[in-house]
Amino acid sequence: MGQFLIKRVLHMIPILLGVSLLTFLLLDLTPGDYFTALENNPQITKERLDQLRAKWHLDESWYVQYGYWIKNLWFANGKLGDLKSQWNKEADGRVWRVIKHAVMPDFGDSLQYKQPSSQLITLRLWNTFMLSLMAMILAWGIALPLGIWAAVKKDSWVDRSCSGIAFLGLSIPEILLGLLALMFAYSTGWFPIGGVESDMYYGVDEWSIPRLMDRFHHLLLPAAVLAASSLAGLMRQMRSNLLDTLRAEYVTTARAKGLGEGWVIYKHALRNAINPLLTIFGYSLAHLLSGAFIVENVMSWPGLGRLTLEALQQQDYPLVVAAVLMATALLMAGNFVADLLLAWSDPRIRLEK
Amino acid sequence: MPLLDIQDLHLEFGTGADAVRAVDGLSLTIAEGETLGLVGESGCGKSVTALSITRLVPAPPARYTSGRILLDGKDVLKMEQSKLRHIRGKMVSYIFQEPGSSLNPVFRVGSQIKESLQLHRPEMATDSEVIRLLKLVGIPAPELRIKDYPHQMSGGMQQRIMIAMALASEPRLLVADEPTTALDVTIQAQILDLLRDLKQRLRMSILLITHNLGIVGDIADRVAVMYAGQVVELAPARDLLQRPLHPYTQALMNSVPKLGREAGRLQSIPGTVPAVGAFPSGCRFHPRCPKAQPDCSKKVPELIEVEPSRFVRCPYWSHGKL
Repeated sequence: MGQFLIKRVLHMIPILLGVSLLTFLLLDLTPGDYFTALENNPQITKERLDQLRAKWHLDESWYVQYGYWIKNLWFANGKLGDLKSQWNKEADGRVWRVIKHAVMPDFGDSLQYKQPSSQLITLRLWNTFMLSLMAMILAWGIALPLGIWAAVKKDSWVDRSCSGIAFLGLSIPEILLGLLALMFAYSTGWFPIGGVESDMYYGVDEWSIPRLMDRFHHLLLPAAVLAASSLAGLMRQMRSNLLDTLRAEYVTTARAKGLGEGWVIYKHALRNAINPLLTIFGYSLAHLLSGAFIVENVMSWPGLGRLTLEALQQQDYPLVVAAVLMATALLMAGNFVADLLLAWSDPRIRLEK
Repeated sequence: MPLLDIQDLHLEFGTGADAVRAVDGLSLTIAEGETLGLVGESGCGKSVTALSITRLVPAPPARYTSGRILLDGKDVLKMEQSKLRHIRGKMVSYIFQEPGSSLNPVFRVGSQIKESLQLHRPEMATDSEVIRLLKLVGIPAPELRIKDYPHQMSGGMQQRIMIAMALASEPRLLVADEPTTALDVTIQAQILDLLRDLKQRLRMSILLITHNLGIVGDIADRVAVMYAGQVVELAPARDLLQRPLHPYTQALMNSVPKLGREAGRLQSIPGTVPAVGAFPSGCRFHPRCPKAQPDCSKKVPELIEVEPSRFVRCPYWSHGKL
């Protein structure tokens, strides 16, 4: 188990390196850079632009940029001085603080915001997390029971209406659904449009009940749109898994034992039907924090997805790379969790290899 | 009164014009303590017959159009679901062909056996009883194996677990549906020895379904041979193996390779088993029968007693001789 864990963490390093390298290459292939937009500004001289580009190494080729980026992860210029100043600060836990500063990688400042990229990402992380978590709860909470119901009542009106809904869900693009939800919110006035909370709660205690309720109110509609997109697929998956296991021979054995149909389905069949869904669960964990680009944009949700998209449009490369790495790391972590869950759920799977 | 009395069973799949008849007028009895072998090629209806005894064939699509299945005098086909559950596992237990896929992969074998005990003998649902059952079916170190998952065992061990699970409820009828087909030959012999031993010790009836005539001679008292949904011959095992009467049984016997006989081509029956729903008219075996006569395709022969306790479905026996 411990060996497995270490192996998986070590595997992450080459993957993250590869992904960051690829991101730099792809950014280099796009025309222009962050400062291209400033070229048409008559107030900024050519010399000034060259200075700026030189400062950010944008005048070098992409692999040199990548080299600087790698070096700056832990060994940026002036890092030693930074550590010294942390040490000299008269406050508790200075050892811990210095270690943290030394070990935490520095993904560089965003060109656009002039702030550390990692800081920008953490700021948006919570919003994205809430949105995705809510969407996930909605999607799984509805899809699994419906899928089970449809499988148990195969070919009944329940099954048919479920597959009807699924087809609808699969064929409506997220962007259209988001717009429809906005129209719905506007015409009924039941839901707020955009944002994470109402302005009136600025400065109110974070955990006060009315403020939390207001946040929840804002959350509901974007989460529902996000959930709708994965609900259909999940439901069909659950249905087909359960139908497969219901045809298995051990289900006949369970019936032949004299077990009631409820026990046959919910103990013997469902316990096996769940396993493939655990892998999907791992992937959706990854999406929890990587953000939902479309929904966040259409419904003005200040999450990571929107931040990343803006960074891409601006060619704000430190922020783009940081966001992409974050998503990659989460995907791998999700996979890892899925593997652990699967090993826990299916005795035939062993982690050590 | 026999323990199991199947009378004129007709089983169809599907409805209307698409309906196909998988079992056609099957009658069988099994007495208390008796072992009946049910022999036939794949697709002849022997497995659905076995599953029908406790109505385990999913219905729909299956439909029982006529006939009765009397288990201890009560008609299974008319029974409510709740009553059926008391018969399944309790009076009739099953062993299936593939132990590997018939055991649930995610539960420990001990808990799967205990589940049977909880259903039918709740006062005995203890680890010690599970261990006793595992010993009974010849599993070494049962105290350790009880915590194993099915995939950690060999095929033969898995089949022993299936047998222990079937015996847990102390059934009166054990239905063994090709219990050795998926096992290799030495393990086959061990499992058959076990069945024969259990049959003598526990005095239960066994319905042994197989396509292997060699197995039948080993442990069955009587044998029924099925072809295309019908019983074509029914006789005491010894008589049937020594002197088969129906041309199909004779052909089956000829195709069993024998030790010591000069090596040559293996005998086989010409043609293939007719698909369910495409049974030929008249005697269903006539297209493949070496002794077929022109009128074999016209009239459906009856199963008649040609000698004491020997039944054959062949027109020539109704005239007295083949």
